[in-house]
Amino acid sequence: MLLAIIIITAIIIIALLISKLIVTKKEQAFENARRCPENKYYVENADEIIRREKTLKTIRYIVCYTFLVLLAIFMLVPFYWMIVTALKTEAEIELVKPTLFPKVITWSNFRYILDAKYQMSLTTSGKLQFDLFRLMYNTLVVGVFSTIGTLVTTVMAAFAFSRIKFPGREIIFTIFLATMMIPGEMMIIPNYIVVVKYLHGENTYWAMIVPFLISVYYIYLLRQNFRQIPDELYYAAKVDGTSNLKYLFKIMIPIAMPTLITISILKLMGSWNAYVWPMMITSRDDMRLISNGLRQSFTDSEGRSHQGRQMAAAAAVLAPLLIVFVCLRKYIMRGVSRSGIKG
Amino acid sequence: MVEGKKSINFLKAMLYLLPALVLMAIFTFYPLIDTFIISFKEQYDNVTGAYSSIGFENYQRIFSAGNQFVLCLCNTMVIVFASVPVSILLSLLIAVALNSIKPLQRFFQTVFFLPYVTNTIAIGMVFSIVFESHQGLANTIITSLGGSNVNWLGGNIQGVTLGNNLFNPDNALFTPQWFTSMIVLMVYIIWNSLPFKILILLSALQSIDKQYYQAAQIDGTSKFRIFSRITVPLLSPQIFYLLITSFIGAFKEYTSVVAIFGEGAQSVGHRHNMATVVWYIYDKIGSSDATEMGLAAAGAVVLFAIIMFFTAINGYVGKKRVHY
Amino acid sequence: MDIRLVNLTKIFADKNSEVRAVDNLDIVIPSGKLIGLLGPSGCGKSTTLYMIAGLLEPTMGQIFFGDEDVTNLSAEKRGIGLVFQNYALYPHLTVKQNIMFPLQNMRMPKAEILARTQKYARLVGIEDLLDRKPKQLSGGQQQRVAIARALVKEPKVLLLDEPLSNLDARLRLQTREEIKRIQRETGITTVFVTHDQEEAMSISDEIVVMKAGVEQQRGKPQDVYEQPVNQFVAKFLGTPPINIFYGKVEKGGLYIGDELIGSSNLEDQEVNIGIRPEGFEISEDGTLSVEVKQVEHIGRDTSVVASNKNTEKETFRFIVESGVEVKEHTTIKVAVKPNKCYVFDKIEEKRVQ
Repeated sequence: MLLAIIIITAIIIIALLISKLIVTKKEQAFENARRCPENKYYVENADEIIRREKTLKTIRYIVCYTFLVLLAIFMLVPFYWMIVTALKTEAEIELVKPTLFPKVITWSNFRYILDAKYQMSLTTSGKLQFDLFRLMYNTLVVGVFSTIGTLVTTVMAAFAFSRIKFPGREIIFTIFLATMMIPGEMMIIPNYIVVVKYLHGENTYWAMIVPFLISVYYIYLLRQNFRQIPDELYYAAKVDGTSNLKYLFKIMIPIAMPTLITISILKLMGSWNAYVWPMMITSRDDMRLISNGLRQSFTDSEGRSHQGRQMAAAAAVLAPLLIVFVCLRKYIMRGVSRSGIKG
Repeated sequence: MVEGKKSINFLKAMLYLLPALVLMAIFTFYPLIDTFIISFKEQYDNVTGAYSSIGFENYQRIFSAGNQFVLCLCNTMVIVFASVPVSILLSLLIAVALNSIKPLQRFFQTVFFLPYVTNTIAIGMVFSIVFESHQGLANTIITSLGGSNVNWLGGNIQGVTLGNNLFNPDNALFTPQWFTSMIVLMVYIIWNSLPFKILILLSALQSIDKQYYQAAQIDGTSKFRIFSRITVPLLSPQIFYLLITSFIGAFKEYTSVVAIFGEGAQSVGHRHNMATVVWYIYDKIGSSDATEMGLAAAGAVVLFAIIMFFTAINGYVGKKRVHY
Repeated sequence: MDIRLVNLTKIFADKNSEVRAVDNLDIVIPSGKLIGLLGPSGCGKSTTLYMIAGLLEPTMGQIFFGDEDVTNLSAEKRGIGLVFQNYALYPHLTVKQNIMFPLQNMRMPKAEILARTQKYARLVGIEDLLDRKPKQLSGGQQQRVAIARALVKEPKVLLLDEPLSNLDARLRLQTREEIKRIQRETGITTVFVTHDQEEAMSISDEIVVMKAGVEQQRGKPQDVYEQPVNQFVAKFLGTPPINIFYGKVEKGGLYIGDELIGSSNLEDQEVNIGIRPEGFEISEDGTLSVEVKQVEHIGRDTSVVASNKNTEKETFRFIVESGVEVKEHTTIKVAVKPNKCYVFDKIEEKRVQ
């Protein structure tokens, strides 16, 4: 059923595109002929070749679009299924032959996720199973502070690496870069011991923030950006009697603003996705971040989880990310694509 | 460039680098060394800090027959060598297809980038429901096409168990359940990793000088030859970069496993049969037996060594093959 | 094989504007000749070349190769060789692989591919560089490789897009001789595009001067230089450029200001008078008095910057033999050679005499 719909839509889209293509081609050919009435030469062979070429081109277009449409569907199916499942009633989810679109749209799953009182009325344990707003609050606290902190350390380090000539600069920077190759798992054991045992950071916000205040990759990115600012600008500022710090704030930071925005977005998205470390150092439900809460709240030790609620929760977690993406698409995509051109 | 006396500049630079250096010292350099040390401490107890002696016992333990680590390594290798080539090839095809169309290009570009801005856990849960064994979407499609239900995430235990003899008896590898579960995991990993690769390759494609293609067209080069002799070599730096990063990424696969199979990393009926190396490390860190921390450290060192090894190979091959 | 462009028109249109890059071009390019398309940047010459190549589709009009209408034929079927402005050598292939590339597309036997590659490498003089990558070559060498790659499939037509613009002055001189030689040796119909009039004049059998998509004049370089049809062509050809004076025709006499410089059979009217730098002669009998501003000795001859209140620009420039003594900041009398003096009408800037 679903497949049939998908295929039909794909075919319609492709057909439309092809027909448009053919029509414009025809018009062009006609126009050509009309404009050259005294055309004396007509070569049959050339015409034949042209026709064959057109067919080939059309086939290529069909293949290309079909391929893209099918893969685009593959990309979108999880999102679709998530929303559809979240809108179904429990009875409909349990059907052996699932429906592709809910027969009855119910908002009770979303209500369960978004409305704490409603959730309480349905649970017997007297405890919230999934406290969305608490989780979001925790994630935002961690995300915002680690972003601000990262920006500060990144700007300072990038400034030193790009603008100050000091002995050992290249060596230190190379060492920094080399650490990017090392998997984080190499660090996590001592980090865990240090934070939990010596600093007593269990169930604290700072323990989720401080270890991630430094990112070599962002330093690298910003340093590249800073280096593109011509030295003349710095000399001009010096002649005008600008101090280093003032130069950094008045000139370099504004110029590097797009990169800083990209870093902020990626860092915030990172906290939204943070899973392992918060899981290790939090034991209390009210200190968890959103990914942990989502994973842990709906797993039932026995029997199956409530799919509708699970999907509603997943949708609620994804919604802010997608909103950010829609608003700041340019910065995100540019920031990500730039990372591939390094080397 | 700040000119001036070297010593003064050095102090200035250190001032700017102070936060970075302090944080790196505590959270990168010290742990890096400490992990190595812990991995050699036998019977290390992270609560008391006591250990019996220095030696290779932890390594012996993780590589001993029947230890989960071998199974985890096996799973990880399967993930690396199946998902990386497939996803790079697929993303290359998509990027080339995207680059060759005009109408709807931006729309498709956005659709293909969408998985990048999602939460791994959330979508992993969606995948586990899509591939649900009884009324999931995947099975619905298969049955509507005339096939029979596939027991994606495990369930009935049947068939020959190759892994039984090689590994821990209750960690079945290469069983039908393992295969179907691995397929689900692979589909998810590829789904998740495509957007980044497509974006990188597409932006590289768009920066290739159009004249190369015009020159090729005039010479009557076939589409396939243009792809294999011009596009791919000109993209080789990006492909190479993606190869290294996705190799490293695949060796560290963890979140997607947990997202689909839960923190036990098991498909129904089999304990931990989807576990990866990183899963093993975290499992041992969280273990109630404090002495297992050494195993986690040894596992991390092994992972580090493997990644270094493959990066070195990649680097060696890259030097010969990659055109810059 | 000759090439004919019939009413060739290319319009680049986007949502709110429309540019006629090439407007109703009718040109016949005779077989075996070297033709230069010449004009300032944006005049549509490259567009024309790309349409001949088949990389751009004409909006209207037709292109014939011999008797064959190739207007809708795609580039690879036209049997042309194109040398791009930036050469477009594949950076990951060696020189040899670059030259072999077009032949490999044709599924030619390996031995012949190698033989041909050798032949054309020798023709352009790069046999010693075959195993290098393009990056390791100088601009001039890259240019030769690009020409060899275009020629190796022995096309019916060779197209060159600004072939010399990326070379330094000395190489440019050498390479243009080379191109001329290669074209003569192969006898291939060649079209090339340039904005450099000297380049076009020095190697072309014929030039076509274009402006804003419209053909201005076509002919042998020397003819076009000596008999420009309008002020644009006159100004575009020749270095230093032609000097334009504001003048008039009165009772059969040609005047700049009030000074009679020649005769005319035109009716009385205001005209623009173009005089080539070599069209002046310092003599006591000269009728035009000019103030010498600056004298530049440039070896073979002497270039004089002078002013007259009726020039289009503030100063004008003329050339005298190096032996002639000219003092700066003096006023001298000059005569105008009648065959170096062109009269253009004031409104359409067409040449009237």
